[in-house]
Amino acid sequence: MILIGELSLWVALLMAAWGTTAGFAGAYTHRTELIASARRALFAMCAFVVLASIGLWTALLTSDFSFRFVASYTSANLPSVYKFTAFWAGQEGSLLFWALILSIYATIAVYTGRKSNRELMPWVVPTLSAIALFFILVLCFGANPYARLDWIPPDGRGLNPQLQNPGMAAHPPNLYLGYIATAIPFAFAVAALITRRLDAEWLSSVRRWVLLSWFFNTVGIVLGMWWAYVELGWGGYWAWDPVENASFLPWLINTAFLHSIMVQEKRGMLRKWNVTLVVSAFLLSILGTFITRSGVISSVHAFSQSSVGYWFLGFLVIAIAVTAYLVTTRLSDLRSRAELESMVSREATFLFNNLLLCGIAFSILWGTLFPILSEAVRGTKITVGPPFFNQVNIPLGLGLLALTGIGPLIAWRRASVRNLRRQFTGPVVCGVLVGVALLAFGMRAYYSVMAYALGGFVLGTIAQEFQKGASARHRMYGEPYPVALFRLVARNRRRYGGYIVHVGVVVLFAAFAGLAFKKEFDVTLRAGQTFSAVDGFGDHWTFVSQGVSDYDELNRHTTAVLLEARRNGKFVGMIKSEKRQYLDSQGNPTFEPATEVGILDKPHEDVYTVLAGVIGEDTAEMRITFNPLVWWVWYGGMIMALGGLIVMWPQAERRRAQAGYMAPLAPGLVDAGTEAVG
Amino acid sequence: MPTRRQFLATLGASVATASLARVLPAQQAMQGMNTGTANVPMDEARYRPVRLPSRGTGPSMSNTQRDALEHQIHCQCGCNLDVFTCRTTDFSCQVSPPMHHDVMALVEGGYSGQEIIGAFVNVYGERVLMEPEKRGFNLAGWFMPFVALGGGTALVIALLRRWRHAPPATEPEPVATLPVHATSDELERLDHLVRRDDA
Repeated sequence: MILIGELSLWVALLMAAWGTTAGFAGAYTHRTELIASARRALFAMCAFVVLASIGLWTALLTSDFSFRFVASYTSANLPSVYKFTAFWAGQEGSLLFWALILSIYATIAVYTGRKSNRELMPWVVPTLSAIALFFILVLCFGANPYARLDWIPPDGRGLNPQLQNPGMAAHPPNLYLGYIATAIPFAFAVAALITRRLDAEWLSSVRRWVLLSWFFNTVGIVLGMWWAYVELGWGGYWAWDPVENASFLPWLINTAFLHSIMVQEKRGMLRKWNVTLVVSAFLLSILGTFITRSGVISSVHAFSQSSVGYWFLGFLVIAIAVTAYLVTTRLSDLRSRAELESMVSREATFLFNNLLLCGIAFSILWGTLFPILSEAVRGTKITVGPPFFNQVNIPLGLGLLALTGIGPLIAWRRASVRNLRRQFTGPVVCGVLVGVALLAFGMRAYYSVMAYALGGFVLGTIAQEFQKGASARHRMYGEPYPVALFRLVARNRRRYGGYIVHVGVVVLFAAFAGLAFKKEFDVTLRAGQTFSAVDGFGDHWTFVSQGVSDYDELNRHTTAVLLEARRNGKFVGMIKSEKRQYLDSQGNPTFEPATEVGILDKPHEDVYTVLAGVIGEDTAEMRITFNPLVWWVWYGGMIMALGGLIVMWPQAERRRAQAGYMAPLAPGLVDAGTEAVG
Repeated sequence: MPTRRQFLATLGASVATASLARVLPAQQAMQGMNTGTANVPMDEARYRPVRLPSRGTGPSMSNTQRDALEHQIHCQCGCNLDVFTCRTTDFSCQVSPPMHHDVMALVEGGYSGQEIIGAFVNVYGERVLMEPEKRGFNLAGWFMPFVALGGGTALVIALLRRWRHAPPATEPEPVATLPVHATSDELERLDHLVRRDDA
């Protein structure tokens, strides 16, 4: 199987090359047999990439250390689940994983769109094949996972301990699923630009893919935050690391697109802008991959530096040049008959929403790349760390949060004063009440107060929207309120799923604002000694060290310290934090010791302990941190993902009832029929 | 013969490639994540002493203030963390503990936070700061996001004004041909709702 996999990679290369060449030639000359051949080549490429992936998984699971990749990232005593996930732990395997997901996505997109997108598909197929060709070329000539060693070591180096975590097993695949899904809309955009068919048809084809990308990116980013929190041990979940930033950029652009597409759907505006967003999301995914894999920017998350960076740089430059040429030569086709009835309208709000989302994306990209620019211009290395990103992005984020509440309250086309007063009164009262209550209780972290007040305003908006919708159903159909609420969401998934996403956003902002009340202590405790501290809520905590212990388990030697925790004199639990020295099957140490933090998690606060070192036999050096509202980050992420799922879920009943029915609609009718994420 | 636009596009791409190519070779010595260490050139991933003679005036700040100061100093082990966080997190770090001891010695020696930061910058360069100083070329780093946002805001307002004054269409034009998954009764009801909403 391993040999078949190895050979399959080369056959996949040939298939991708043929799919690209024949596809472009067929689309250009309108020769149907070449177009069909390219499509079949893409399906075949997918099959061979799957075989190549199965081959590598087989090598990993059977510990075939004749392969450099297997020997570099696994050891004989590594648990099987981590042998499986080691597939994406290293440069070569993760690139094959990219190619695998891309070819599966491409196959699904081409197969499902073969009837509905007859004009675009001849160009979509070779564009996707060309992207896949690039990845397989890199695999074959730049980072081959099947490269062999000159000798067979008795054991492998093992997997980095920080990657031996359930979060790391799930985080990269989700992120890749999100990243790579941007390739499909990109291919449709390229096809639409080449064929000059820039009406709403191509957008409806890509919207679901953008949603898919957004969904997996959301899940991937939140899982990455969770992994960083429980595994890295620095006490937080987001450090504005270049690689974290790179994963965030396509998410921001996709979010902007999911809002601006509604303006095009309903008003026929923003055609150029939407094409630009679709293309930018893909290019930023490639840029992110370049940053992760080139070593051009220092990051704890980066893969080891290799020549692969040059491949990605070249691909990025070509992709930018091609898309810039296509967009600039099609500007006249993208011109829309823009007409705005009022400055106070939802479409105007969405423009500002896009401005802020893209402004945040630009500031993050700028901060991430500024050290390179500084070095190129001044020859001086600088660090752009969290203080920069927080100072720049917190005001922008609060503005975005405000727009999250404002957008749904303003009508499309034009909002009357009476309508505005009726819509805004309830939510504004909610926001003001929250802000005043917090100030009255003595909260003086003004950014946090603003975040909570705006959160109250947004929740007020969402509650009002649900209440109005459910009441209308209750009145019209006599449904009990819970049933009306359920059916309201089920019948208008885009709109109400979007509101659920907004609830998740509010919960996340509330969690981020809680960081202002974080407290941390540097502590040295001997067995039996006590440390007392007061947390951000004013509770008195006492920690009693139960001593340091050493023991062996599985593939590691562990040093652990156990603390008894009491809040206001009442026992609340034991917290164990560890340092683990991983060993290979011969008992030799592999890697540096790894941290395993101790977390006592409660909805309002986590007590987070890190064993920093041991003095003598029973004295532990530790850091104890009170992290407020961290629990809300994970649940905020889950709520966002749930909302995304609801938006994505197909409207099966209506489709069956109205299959094939197509009608040209005036803007107003489209407006009401396909209300969407507000 | 390329057009001016094509020429500028090619020039821009070349400059970007050249700038990155200048940075890439400097990273050749980087270590990989999978060795458990961060990506930092070896010549920079080392401790350098930061020492000044004591003023004999006693400690210049409390331990809490000292910890806050350490949050502003970038650990040079390549972890992207500040000295306080790194030394209290990673007991295998060889750089943050001596940097911490230097901070402690300078605090004991009576130096202010600003003086201690200045001493570290003199030894390590600007990269020892967690954020760039707000002067010189760094101002471009700090203010460019706001300049871009200001420019974007002006552009959006200008666009909205232009669209606001755009002449009305002579005849209503359907914006799109979309599949509608609704019965005719539902469509009629939706139309009614839209008209009521617009009224």
